[in-house]
Amino acid sequence: MKKIKEPKNLTPRIKWLRDYYFQGVERPWNNEYKVFTTGLPHDEVYNEIDYYIVPETYNFFNTFQYGLKQIGKKIETPKDFYKKSIAERRAFFLKEAMTKHVPLDILPGDLLCGANFNLFISHCHTKKEAAMRSKILYGKGGLRERTIEFHDRGFGNCGATSGHLIPDYPTILKYGFKHIIEQIDNKYKSLSAIERRGSKGAQLRAMRTAAEIPVELAQRYSQRLSELAEKEENAKRKKELLTMSENLKVVPYNGAQDFWQAVQSLWLTHMLVMSDENYPGPGVSFGRLDQYLYPYYEISVKQGMTREFMKEILECMWVHCNTAYDAQIKVGSNQGITAGFGQLFMISGMGENGEDLTNDLSYLLLEVIDDMSPILEPKPNIRLHRNSPHKLLEKIADMIAESQGAPFLLNFDERSMAGLLRQARKCGLEEYINEKNVWNYAAVGCLENTMTGNDRSGTVDINLNLFKAVELTLARGGDLIEYKDQIWGKPYKQKRHSADTGDSAKFESFEEFYAAFEKHVKFIVENIARLYNESDYVRAVFHPTPYLSCLVKGCIDKALDITQGGAELRFVTVEGVTFATTVDSLLAIKYLVYDKKICSMQELIEALKNNWEGYEKLQAIAKYKAPKYGRDDDAADEMAEKVMKLWAEETWKYKTIMTDAQLRPGMLSWNYWISDGFILPASPDGRKKGQFLSNAICPSNGADTKGPTSNINSVGKALGSRKPDGDYLDYVNYLPNGASHTITLSPSLLRDREHKQKFIALLRGYVENGGTALQINSLDVDTLIDAQKNPSEYRHLLVRVTGYNAYFTSIGRELQNEIINREIHNKY
Amino acid sequence: METFISDIQKMSTEDGPGIRTTVFFKGCNLKCIWCHNPENIPFYRQKYWLKDRCIGCFTCRDVCPNGAISFHEDGLVFDEKLCVFCLVCADSCPANAIEVKGQSISVQELIKELLKDKAYYEVSGGGVTLSGGEPVLHWEYIEPLVQELKRQGVHVALDTAGNYPYHILQKLLPYIDLVLYDIKAVDSEKHKEMTGLENTQILQNAKRLGAQSSVEVWIRTPIIPGYTDESKNIEAIGKFLKQNMPDITKWELLSFNNLCAHKYRLLGKEWALKDAELISRSKMEQLCKTARKYVKSAIWSGATKAEV
Repeated sequence: MKKIKEPKNLTPRIKWLRDYYFQGVERPWNNEYKVFTTGLPHDEVYNEIDYYIVPETYNFFNTFQYGLKQIGKKIETPKDFYKKSIAERRAFFLKEAMTKHVPLDILPGDLLCGANFNLFISHCHTKKEAAMRSKILYGKGGLRERTIEFHDRGFGNCGATSGHLIPDYPTILKYGFKHIIEQIDNKYKSLSAIERRGSKGAQLRAMRTAAEIPVELAQRYSQRLSELAEKEENAKRKKELLTMSENLKVVPYNGAQDFWQAVQSLWLTHMLVMSDENYPGPGVSFGRLDQYLYPYYEISVKQGMTREFMKEILECMWVHCNTAYDAQIKVGSNQGITAGFGQLFMISGMGENGEDLTNDLSYLLLEVIDDMSPILEPKPNIRLHRNSPHKLLEKIADMIAESQGAPFLLNFDERSMAGLLRQARKCGLEEYINEKNVWNYAAVGCLENTMTGNDRSGTVDINLNLFKAVELTLARGGDLIEYKDQIWGKPYKQKRHSADTGDSAKFESFEEFYAAFEKHVKFIVENIARLYNESDYVRAVFHPTPYLSCLVKGCIDKALDITQGGAELRFVTVEGVTFATTVDSLLAIKYLVYDKKICSMQELIEALKNNWEGYEKLQAIAKYKAPKYGRDDDAADEMAEKVMKLWAEETWKYKTIMTDAQLRPGMLSWNYWISDGFILPASPDGRKKGQFLSNAICPSNGADTKGPTSNINSVGKALGSRKPDGDYLDYVNYLPNGASHTITLSPSLLRDREHKQKFIALLRGYVENGGTALQINSLDVDTLIDAQKNPSEYRHLLVRVTGYNAYFTSIGRELQNEIINREIHNKY
Repeated sequence: METFISDIQKMSTEDGPGIRTTVFFKGCNLKCIWCHNPENIPFYRQKYWLKDRCIGCFTCRDVCPNGAISFHEDGLVFDEKLCVFCLVCADSCPANAIEVKGQSISVQELIKELLKDKAYYEVSGGGVTLSGGEPVLHWEYIEPLVQELKRQGVHVALDTAGNYPYHILQKLLPYIDLVLYDIKAVDSEKHKEMTGLENTQILQNAKRLGAQSSVEVWIRTPIIPGYTDESKNIEAIGKFLKQNMPDITKWELLSFNNLCAHKYRLLGKEWALKDAELISRSKMEQLCKTARKYVKSAIWSGATKAEV
């Protein structure tokens, strides 16, 4: 049996911290949510909109809403508190909580400060504001009810979600918060008296208060460290504590002077984003860490800091990142809820002229990943391109060979940049995204491409089940089956949602069917955009994040909170879910009803309504005889590209009303492709209700019978392939957000030097023919089956599921079986 | 003679350098006792029934125009006397449970399929491998194929057992980049015992191949327990190679694997090696050491390696 990867080369300090972290609930210290309220009866601390994209939590909204505020600690507010704007109140409240009420804990041996950051704090609403918000969300016909019904009926889900962006950390590292405060003050001075009294003035005052939080917190930590240093008997540790104390006298107020200060500044700045948003790191990305930390690395190398010590500093940051999971430490986890927080960073990638930017720090970071792994956070993405050095690829191959699945995700520059340039041209944003700067892109969340420090692309805010359009086409714009309330089991009334495109049984050609399908695709995009607007509105009006606004370019200039559209680049990404299920269903309809005339449309609809029961022969034909996407079959892949273009084009037609954010397309399915498989009806491709839908841009489970290269080629074709009028060079990419692609390779492909070279070539081939992001699993079946049987012995077994790492034993049996099936399939 | 192809395997990593697509041709003039691709021995198409895939709908039985299909206790039985190979059964099986080995595909179509992975060939130093069966027996089909592949800049490897007049191979060689040439034994009688034919022509061709220098050659020797695994045999081949083929770039000893056992079951054939054990790592290393005395580039590989 294959051995599970173990951490290695850890110093006693890091080993202790890492082991301590994995003690979990047994630990005396943890970073559990700390809750603070104004103490007023109407006060709320939980914002359920943050969780509208997590259907597993719908059951618990009331529990969180009422339970959390009961355990809240009261913070006194000043007399004139409610005369100020919500943003000012919230900034004040956060500052009070962080600097006066949250303990200044420092773990033994730790080289970085900033331990407690998981917060739920008061919404700081007046009674009237709280009532207005309640009216929108709760009760009959409220946003909550409609969001749940929307999901229960298989349309997908949406909600204005936290994180998923790259704050402007490079600016803080370079110039410090001093620079931010100066900018805010200058902007404030430039306002007219009327403007100062209005929302702009209020917003800048709120941001001014928020920008002081890290500065004040650093001062307090510095003081505490010098006290600890005084009591410390170990001379070496004493010196460390004193240096840490000195570091915090410099950063994050000023620019960092060396590597240690830079990492300290980065961590403190970053953790407060999570505090501000009251969400533990949902896709908040560090961006191109090996690039903007490199100058500090060079300085410290010159000053004689050892590689070992730099690794220890980074590894301390690793431990800090992981304590985000302490948020719900006593609640446990289910289907990846807690495994899905995701703080991300990038390594390597190209520069302006296609040259490779891998540096010593890139390799140091890879060592850190290798030594610490398996561990969940932060999640590395490695950027590859045509000029990626062989040394880097060899390191990648070695690390994958050793781990159970790649301990990182791979991002492909050429195809990714093509998508971002396409987006810029579509929206006239060439000023912000162009050939001169697109190379500096990075991913947020799991693999979603954005620009750095000025871009909120709302990358998981809208998750749309494309297959719903097939259902609507079959059922004259209505439901094909009876949908039920997933909590109470009560059936919803069957109804027509979209236009009546006529009895599908009377369509005489596939073209006629497809024309109706197009109408319903237009409808589902418009429909979800409409619903999203409501949560976008609630967030903009009631839930400002003034601290985060300090870290995103555009917010100071416009004196506008990021939640209100302050960022220079504003998008909301529609993540298309069930892509291959949709394409394969269309291919099956064409094959069964029109080309081969194996059954009538009426028969097919009856079969789907009966979940294929009594229609096993027809189901087998649909499954095994009808063409499928993912086999490098040009005719099938042409359908894939056609569907991709169709739905992607629709998204560009919408902007949010409140925040002027442009909708854009992407493909990431998180775990919806599993759970929604139990909601949506049987599909014409032979899938039964209750079986999984397809994942992101991947071919349907088991459909990729022609091996990895064919699978990769199909994905590249679905994204637009390579054409003379490409978006970047000759690369076309319809999805600026990028698309999640997973392949599972047999470990034998990495068994020796010769085969590792072949694997490296496969990655280089992916650059030419593939998509934007790839995750590689290389698990063997026996390990997985054994882990399923004996979870306690495999607590650390890590797998990657749709772009996020998860502990195999915690992902639920269905997902486990899915991964096992995939592996068995690939062995065939 | 109609050319049938039994399989086109993408992302092949075991048949030559880099990432390759391997085309398996049907038909061979040797009958090696251990053959790993028994479906590629006959030139004609074959069909078999896959029990695991069958959904029990009996469509095949019902559509067969000659009543050649019946179902017994153990499942489907073809009456070969009645079957005219119209393959209506395979076409109409909803679950692809009747598999046909041997598709007829035009050279043009095949080239189109092979070029789909050109990007991977280029970055890996890979290409296309023609295997079988004995691909050279389809030289009329192969000649325009390799000419076009050469024109397209695709690296072509020819996996051959060498039992045919040399002039046929000579016709193809200008368009071939690498020959994977099988030598199983030097002792002709033993060779006959194992493969049904003497090896005079094979060794003669090997010598001529050894005398030319424009095409790269790898020698492959399957190591089969009880047949080719004596060190005496390796010594003899080693001597032959040293003397006659000094320029080969690789000599691969391929350890026996039993993964093909199910193919014999499907084809309803007995396999002489069905109970044979895999070769141990130490034995492979020993044989490889022997081989290196004569040919420095000798290596061993095989499916057993991953399992040891």
